[in-house]
Amino acid sequence: MTSRSPDTHRPLSYALLVHGAPYGHQAALSALRFARALAQRGHRVATVFFYHDGVHNASTLMSPPQDELSLQAGWRELHAQQGSALLVCVAAGLRRGLLDEAEAARHGKPAANVEPPFELTGLGQLVDAMFSHDRLLTFAP
Amino acid sequence: MILHLINRAPQHPAVYQALAESFSKGDHVLLIEDACYAALPGRQDVLAPFAGAVSALEEDLVSRGLRKRVGDSLEVVDMAGFVSLTELYSRSLSWF
Amino acid sequence: MTTIQNIDAARHDLLVILRHAPHGSAWLREGLEVALVAAAFGKRVALMFQADGVYALMAGQQAGALGQKGTHPQIAMLEMYDIETLWVSEEALLQRGLEPDDLMLPVTLLDSRTLAHVTRENPYTLVF
Repeated sequence: MTSRSPDTHRPLSYALLVHGAPYGHQAALSALRFARALAQRGHRVATVFFYHDGVHNASTLMSPPQDELSLQAGWRELHAQQGSALLVCVAAGLRRGLLDEAEAARHGKPAANVEPPFELTGLGQLVDAMFSHDRLLTFAP
Repeated sequence: MILHLINRAPQHPAVYQALAESFSKGDHVLLIEDACYAALPGRQDVLAPFAGAVSALEEDLVSRGLRKRVGDSLEVVDMAGFVSLTELYSRSLSWF
Repeated sequence: MTTIQNIDAARHDLLVILRHAPHGSAWLREGLEVALVAAAFGKRVALMFQADGVYALMAGQQAGALGQKGTHPQIAMLEMYDIETLWVSEEALLQRGLEPDDLMLPVTLLDSRTLAHVTRENPYTLVF
């Protein structure tokens, strides 16, 4: 089987919940791969929510070797192409050292590593995404 | 009806057991990542509760050298097929 | 043992399935956090404990070494957040040699058929 074609093919909006840390597990790659395939079928990833160790995907400081996919670039490209919101759980992120400029200033830290289009946000946004999108898929380590 | 995604190798039977508890007739299971090892003929005992309702993701099989070793009881789907399954099944649960 | 008599009572706005034990990983803590936040937003939330998730309910838990927070304070807060539906896999409990009396809160035991039915009846479900 390559693909099934339901009778009523309408564009769907997806939320992806990513729990896997970059480069430590396949989960983030699987999520990004799935997101790209969605576009080819006319669907759209409206929201990616990073939680658990998945918050590390938001770090602008990731520096993978040149012959490996840059997940940071991959998520940014997804945002550019599909307008996907890239939401990072602020509570899970702060604990693990993911801070935007405002949080870095608030906590007296010397640097920030979360920049737009990534946004630190509360878990309420995950609950909202669940209820407002057609599909939710979880990619975990 | 639910599309169940599982990514754990069959050496973690408790994950398959939790999936089995939540599985209803009409649901479907997609093996991704390390769960592809459960597609090997000698490793399929964990899939018994889902007989006839299991697919495995082609690119994760290929990358692991498993593509030609998959048992007949499984359907192999490519990424477009994965997307199609999420169209067909309005809900998905992930077991990890 | 308690079982669900009226299956309509199974439907909630959100079902959170918890399958991990406390302390060893953040899965349980972060799963409970989603449940509490959803409840604070006015959603009717149910919890289902499967596999090692049943250990979340063990009586007598404490904070860990070096001040590691446990999840028992979150469990203790459930009632305050109106999270009153606590389903437990009967099989998971039995397999671990536990009985409802070993748990810190009263729960509803589900046999595997009922558990599958409950999962089917709750369209918004997250697995941790």
